[in-house]
Amino acid sequence: MTDAQIIDLFFERSEQAIEELAKKHGGAVSRVAYNILGNSRDTEECVNDTWLGTWNAIPPERPAPLRSFVCRIARNLATKRYHANTAEKRNSQYDLALDELAACIPDRNSVEDAYGAKELAAAISSFLDTLAYADKFLFMRRYWYADSLTDISAMSGLGYKTVSVRLTRIKAKLKHYLMKEGLLV
Amino acid sequence: MKRETISQALNLLEERHISDTASFDPGAVQEPPERIISMKKKRIITLALAAALLLTLSVAAYAAWSVHAARQQELKEDLKIEENHVSSYLEYQVPEESENAGLVLLSTVNDGESQRVFVNVSPVERDVVERFPESVAFAWKLDGMTVNGEDYWMTAGPKLQSSISVSGREQIREAVLRDAYEESTKTLTLECFISNQAIAQAQAAHDSESVLLTVTLWDHQAQADAGVGSSTAWLNGQESFGSLWFTPTEQEMRYFDFGHALYHDEETDREIELVGLELTPFSAVWKVHYEGDAALHTPGVDQDAYGPWSLLEDKICLEARLVFSDGSEFSTGGALTCPYENGTVNQFCGWGSAIDIGDVQRILLGDLVLWEADN
Repeated sequence: MTDAQIIDLFFERSEQAIEELAKKHGGAVSRVAYNILGNSRDTEECVNDTWLGTWNAIPPERPAPLRSFVCRIARNLATKRYHANTAEKRNSQYDLALDELAACIPDRNSVEDAYGAKELAAAISSFLDTLAYADKFLFMRRYWYADSLTDISAMSGLGYKTVSVRLTRIKAKLKHYLMKEGLLV
Repeated sequence: MKRETISQALNLLEERHISDTASFDPGAVQEPPERIISMKKKRIITLALAAALLLTLSVAAYAAWSVHAARQQELKEDLKIEENHVSSYLEYQVPEESENAGLVLLSTVNDGESQRVFVNVSPVERDVVERFPESVAFAWKLDGMTVNGEDYWMTAGPKLQSSISVSGREQIREAVLRDAYEESTKTLTLECFISNQAIAQAQAAHDSESVLLTVTLWDHQAQADAGVGSSTAWLNGQESFGSLWFTPTEQEMRYFDFGHALYHDEETDREIELVGLELTPFSAVWKVHYEGDAALHTPGVDQDAYGPWSLLEDKICLEARLVFSDGSEFSTGGALTCPYENGTVNQFCGWGSAIDIGDVQRILLGDLVLWEADN
């Protein structure tokens, strides 16, 4: 079934819409949630909440592409749950990914009081536009989708070491970029 | 910065970045499109030659022979093998049978860090090709290459023209159908990058110079529908296009000694020593050295300390120019890996089509002449 047909089912308020959505994009949604939450129980609940969120959003929305739309809902729900969890419960790829980025964007000397998440997001989006596609892919898979380096290596066809080195360089470039943009001093 | 702020910022990233990276688009990792027109002409010539062959061969034999032989010819032109005198490129004899071709080895070349292996796979239905890259990929493995005791599958990409740049699902699909797919024989041309490390592991496992390559279809949707979480388990359970033995080719390399030239970077006020360059038709290794480089290339290094050096390392690869006898210049582009070995940081860079390593006349970095031919 095509994405457009699934969206039509949502507009018809047919429960088959969720069934078809889960069949087509369930794997991708589960993966994003699991990478962030790191356990099956929370992931399952997050995936169910994602279907509910999608049900509430369509209509009126008619998203294209559908996959990234539902992945974004799943990510938002998963990160909310992730931050609500106690530190002891955290044990996921997302921990590692956030640690890596936090190290690249240090707390000290930052001006985050003046520039919040929205400004940082805009800066990172602009930064991504300066990257070659492969580097953008590596950055997004690691920090948005929270995939492991092994998985990214398999997906991209690049060696594990190549992925690791390139991510290190991308982070150095990001830091340099944020400094130039005045988000870090 | 607080982890929550970073996490929230990531949630707010623009939609296009998320959809662009939902799956890997190999077509987007191509060189800039400056040579599209000439390449199109070459493709027309190749197709014309293939058409001429049709007159002399039976239709049944042609179907198989032409698709493999014509692809070999196209690959040779796309990779600029003959015009740049690449001696390490190896073409294989292709089968004349049209039916059940499965997996056919077309050619291999060593790019310094890996073997680039070109194969034809068939049959691949058009509707399957049209699902690439969103829900279908292609995967290869070497017998004996394992990670944590398990077979290790890597993805293979349809071989598109080296000179084009495509992005977005539709453009990629069009490019794959145009460049890599032959509909009448349902044949798709793939490129596998097989690292020398993987080859060494596979050779050791079999105590043989030759390695066994297997290529299969990776249907993400079918895997998801089947509820199989482990990609290795899924791929191992699939019927492959076939397996074949091949012997990896040797690399051809030219070394340029820079006599420990020093480069001073005004932006960062740092000095870096350029030791030399190992150049192959498809890759380069810039050997550099600076104070503290060994410590900065160990796992868990302080990013604050390494950051400026990593940018400077990158700058060498990006800004240095190779000058050829006709006056044209070439940049090796940014490094893909940079291991510290034998007292130098070895920055490996790779590119799609060959260059003539015998024709390099000068190597420059800004105003600094790193190497010059004796004339």
